[in-house]
Amino acid sequence: MKDIFDKRTVLVSGKGGVGKTTVAAAFSRAAAAAGKRVLATEVAYETDSPTPLADLLGVKHATDDPQRVSDNLSMALLTPHAGHLHFLRDALPMRMLADAAMKSAAIRRFLLAAPSLAEMGLLYRMLNLLRRTRSDGSFEFDVLVIDLPATGHALGLAQVPSAILKVITRGPVYDAVKDGLAMMRDPLRTGTLLVTLPETLPTSEAIELARGIATHHVPLAGIVVNRVPHNPFSPAERAVVDALALDPQRTLGARTLPRLDRARESLARIESELGRPPMILPEIIDEAQVEARVFAAITALAGAA
Amino acid sequence: MRRSPDEPFTSELVRNKRVIVCCGAGGVGKTTTAAAIGLAAAMTGRRVLVLTIDPARRLAEAMSIPAGGAKPARVPAALLSGGGELSAWMLDPRVVFEGMVRRMSDSPERADRALSNKLYLALRDLIGGMQEYTAAEALHMFHVSGDYDLVVLDTPPSRNALEFLEAPRKLALFLDEKIIGVFLPHGGGGAGGLFWSRARGLVTSVFDRIFGEGFMGDLGAFLGGFSGMFSAMREHAESVRALLTGESASFLVVTSPDPAARTEARFLEDKLREMHLPFAGYVLNRSWAYTRGLTPPDTAGAPQTPDTASALRKLEALAAHESALAARDRDILQALKNGGQSEATATPHLGAAIEDFAGLTMLAEGLLDAHPDRD
Repeated sequence: MKDIFDKRTVLVSGKGGVGKTTVAAAFSRAAAAAGKRVLATEVAYETDSPTPLADLLGVKHATDDPQRVSDNLSMALLTPHAGHLHFLRDALPMRMLADAAMKSAAIRRFLLAAPSLAEMGLLYRMLNLLRRTRSDGSFEFDVLVIDLPATGHALGLAQVPSAILKVITRGPVYDAVKDGLAMMRDPLRTGTLLVTLPETLPTSEAIELARGIATHHVPLAGIVVNRVPHNPFSPAERAVVDALALDPQRTLGARTLPRLDRARESLARIESELGRPPMILPEIIDEAQVEARVFAAITALAGAA
Repeated sequence: MRRSPDEPFTSELVRNKRVIVCCGAGGVGKTTTAAAIGLAAAMTGRRVLVLTIDPARRLAEAMSIPAGGAKPARVPAALLSGGGELSAWMLDPRVVFEGMVRRMSDSPERADRALSNKLYLALRDLIGGMQEYTAAEALHMFHVSGDYDLVVLDTPPSRNALEFLEAPRKLALFLDEKIIGVFLPHGGGGAGGLFWSRARGLVTSVFDRIFGEGFMGDLGAFLGGFSGMFSAMREHAESVRALLTGESASFLVVTSPDPAARTEARFLEDKLREMHLPFAGYVLNRSWAYTRGLTPPDTAGAPQTPDTASALRKLEALAAHESALAARDRDILQALKNGGQSEATATPHLGAAIEDFAGLTMLAEGLLDAHPDRD
C-alpha cells in the first residue's frame, strides 16, 4: 500500500453503505497531506444527484470544474455531460460545431438514451483531467481519486471499454477508449481500493469483485474493511458469556456477539481467499469523529512498508 | 379501516395497493425489504409477485426459489400462512426486452432481425443500461397480466434510484418520430423538409467523425430494425407512467441509520414529490430502533470462573452500548417522520443479512403488526 500515493488514478469502489465515500475523502486528504496535488472526484449522472463526497469535503456547489478545497486538494464532479462536450470539442474541427452538437436535441437525447455512452463520457472526462498540465509542463493533478457509484463499480467501468471497442472499430472514440483502457490496466498508474464491511455477504461480494477486477486486468491496490467492531472479550471471558446461552434476537448486549464472530471470520476469509491481509479501519460510533480517525488510519497504512 | 396509532403505515399499504415500489440507496437492505413487503401482503391472503434486481443468493435460497429462472417462481405454500401466494423473479433485462420486442413486432421474422442486429447484440451485454429500461416494463407487464393482486418492485441499485422511471421517458423522447427520423437512413417516413435534412446532415457528420465512418449506417440499421415498434413503445412508456402515478401505486423509501443513506432518502422523497409520484413513507431498516421484546442479559446462570466478573462487566457495557444505539435510532425514526409530515416505521433488527424464511417472516410481521417504536 506504500506506493498508492504514487498512482495517477485511484478508483474507490464498493457496494452502497460500506463507507466508500468516507474512505475516498480521507484518502484524498491523506495524499494531499503527503504532498501530492490531488483532485477528488465523484460520479454524478444528473445535475441534482446527491454529492456525498463534496459534502464531506465541504464543497457547497460542486461542478464539473475543479474547485480548490485546501492546499493541494481540489474537488470536481465527474459527469458524462462534461466528457461528451470535451470529446466533441476534441473530435470536431470547430468548437462551435461541438457546442451546436451538444445543443442538438437529437444528439443530446441519443447520448442520454444509449446505454454505456454515459460511461464512455466519464472515461473521456477522466483522461481529460489526468492530462491537464500547468504552465511549467507538469501535471495539474498528480492523483485523481474517483469515488465510483455503488453500481458503476470498477468492474462496470472496466467492462464498458471492451464492449465499446466491439461496436466501434475506428475514429476518436475508439482511440480515446483504447487509451483509457490501457491506463486503467497499468498497475503503475492505476490502483483500486475495494471497500467492504466485516459481514458475511459484503465480504463474499468483495471477494467476487476482487476476482472480477482481476479478470479485467484492473490492478487492485488493496481491500479496506471498514467499521471493524472492537472485540472486548478474551477467549476465557467469551466462554463465560457463551455459557449463558442468551437469545441474540431478544437480549440486549447479546445482539452484538454474533457480529463480533462474523467480523473475525470475514477478515480471515479475505486473507485466505485473496492471499493478502485486508486493511482494517476500526468502527467509530461518534459520527463527528469518523473522518479524522479514518484519515489517521489511511495515513498510517500508506506510510507503512 | 382506521389503523391504531401503533400500527405501521405499511400494514395498510400491503393490504390495498396494486403496485409498491421500493427505493433507496444501495446497502440499506432494499431487496430484503421488498421481499418482506411481498411476504407481508401474502400473509394477508393476497397473490403477490416480488420483482428483484439483484437478490442475494441467500435470499433466493431463503425463499426456496431458483436464482436465475426465466419466469417467476412460487414460494412453497407450506412456508406461508394466511392463504396468499408469493412469487418472486429476478429480473432478467434480456428476457423482458426481447419479450417486449416480440409482442410489439408485426412478425416473428422482423423481431428476429431486430434482435440479431450487430449493435443490439453489443449493447445488450451492457446490462447496467438495460435494467432501467426493463424494470418499469416488467412491472407493467405483470400488473396487467391479472395473475397478481400486488406487484412489488425492488428498484435497480442505481445511485439515482428513480432512473428507471426516467428511462422510459428518455426512450420515449428519443423515439419521437421526428428525432428518430434523423437517425434513419430514409428519414423514417414522418420526417421531411429542409430542416430535417439539415439536422440529419449535422448528426451524420458528428457521428461519423466521432464514432468512425459507417457508424451512422449501423445505427440506422439498428433503429430501422425496431421501427414500426416505436409508436407502440412510446404509448407503452406512457401507460407505465400512468400506472405509477395512479392511486393504486405507492412508493416506499428504504433507508438505514447511516447518514449518507438518509441524505439520499430525503433526496428521493423530494424527487418523488416533484415527479408527482405517490410517496407513502420511510422504512428504517438495519436500525436498533425496534425494541419490542428486548430484555437486558440474564446473568444469573453464569459459571463461576476467574474471568466471570470481567466478562459480565463487558457484556453489560455492550448492552448499554446497544441501548444507546436504540435511543439514537429512535431519534432518527422521529426525524424521518418530520413532525408528522411523513410516515415512517422501523423493521426488527436481524443482525446479519437475512438467513432464512423465519427471518423474513419476522421482518414481514414487523411491517404488519402494531408495535411501539417508542420504549
